[in-house]
Amino acid sequence: MASNSDSVSDTQRTLYPYVTGTSVVALKYKNGILMAADMGGSYGSTLRYKSIDRLKPIGKHSLLGASGEISDFQEILRYLDELILYDNMWDDGNSLGPKEVHNYLTRVMYNRRNKFNPLWNALVLGGVKNGQKYLGMVNMIGINFEDNHVATGLGNHLARPILRDEWHENLTFEEGVKLLEKCMRVLLYRDRSAVNKIQISKITEEGATLFPPFSLKTYWEFSAFKNPTVGAEGSW
Amino acid sequence: MDQKMDFNAPHSMGTTIIGVTYNGGVVLGADSRTSTGVYVANRASDKITQLTDNVYVCRSGSAADSQVVSDYVRYFLHQHTIQLGQPATVKVAANLVRLLSYNNKNFLETGLIVGGWDKYEGGQIYGVPLGGTIVQQPFAIGGSGSSYLYGFFDQAWKEGMTKDEAEDLVKKAVSLAIARDGASGGVVRTVIINSEGVTRNFYPGDQLPLWHEELEPQNSLLDILGAPEPMNI
Repeated sequence: MASNSDSVSDTQRTLYPYVTGTSVVALKYKNGILMAADMGGSYGSTLRYKSIDRLKPIGKHSLLGASGEISDFQEILRYLDELILYDNMWDDGNSLGPKEVHNYLTRVMYNRRNKFNPLWNALVLGGVKNGQKYLGMVNMIGINFEDNHVATGLGNHLARPILRDEWHENLTFEEGVKLLEKCMRVLLYRDRSAVNKIQISKITEEGATLFPPFSLKTYWEFSAFKNPTVGAEGSW
Repeated sequence: MDQKMDFNAPHSMGTTIIGVTYNGGVVLGADSRTSTGVYVANRASDKITQLTDNVYVCRSGSAADSQVVSDYVRYFLHQHTIQLGQPATVKVAANLVRLLSYNNKNFLETGLIVGGWDKYEGGQIYGVPLGGTIVQQPFAIGGSGSSYLYGFFDQAWKEGMTKDEAEDLVKKAVSLAIARDGASGGVVRTVIINSEGVTRNFYPGDQLPLWHEELEPQNSLLDILGAPEPMNI
């Protein structure tokens, strides 16, 4: 990798993230993969950027979703651009599928971790090739695996329990979207870095579709919300 | 600087910088205070630096880091322009800034706003904060003074402003930030870039509106005491 990682110098050590994206959630459905993320870029505790695209198509067969440091994600996109370009230049009728891209990313992330200079991201890679659906995850320390549904960050704690309960084989597109929206709504309620501008993307054998950003309605009409301290003045 | 950083504390930088697009170009604005600790080393600095004829950058954070980055980018862009045979695009300038910021992220402490006009995409603003992320935005704010402007811009920003509306917005915003941020002060400088060229403006305090609890500046107390002067037209 043509980067400045100076493994000899002591000044290249584990850094800290500046502009970060929060959870990505994804699941397998009947025709492929559905992935969701919000468009927020936080700067510490400030919700600084509200239109960051965190879901990107890779080649013809894959979708990449990223959380963590946005500058590192942008660099990863450049690496993948080069990878796909060289693959296309062979002009041999073959194209890199999601399994191959996931493997490439895993090697990049793990090798950077070994040099104490990680790319500070958790990545979700999903796709379909020759009818085979694939959904995997890799993070900044190189942990990688594939599953029927994955999430990053707080999504692991809040979204995956919902998915473990309600996911099943052969979800329709509508069922998949509703399930993702349920997860994103919980994250909106309970993740302080969440921003109410959601992007959902799908990838099928035919290719990737990026749906336009939208906002979710939230529910506040519980009587316990309106009168939280009834019977216990001074409590919260 | 501490080795152990609190991840949830945004890194504060002295200065207020702003870049805003309007229908036809961009307006860049900044304050003029450079401080070393509590001392104001330069009260009339120029934080809006030229990269090419049509692209300027607003600098915040470490004065040294932002100067050296903009110097390198100016040097590279000069060569790029010769090789290309026509003015560099704003996108190229912004990406060069990003390259330096990203690849040297462990050493640099500078947040930059690149703004300019080119014939392909018109007026564009790119934010390059700490870490080297690049984000194209209709408007961008940066520096420690920008903390006080998020709410202001959420309310006051509109799509499709005229040149004068955009410059007024920038002037007002920098002035509001100066009122509340100790690390920002001095004068308001603006740079307007469009197809016709570049215009630099300079607004000292007496040409800016007064905010809450600010008083009209006087030459002396003595002028206020005694009988008021008759009004002259």
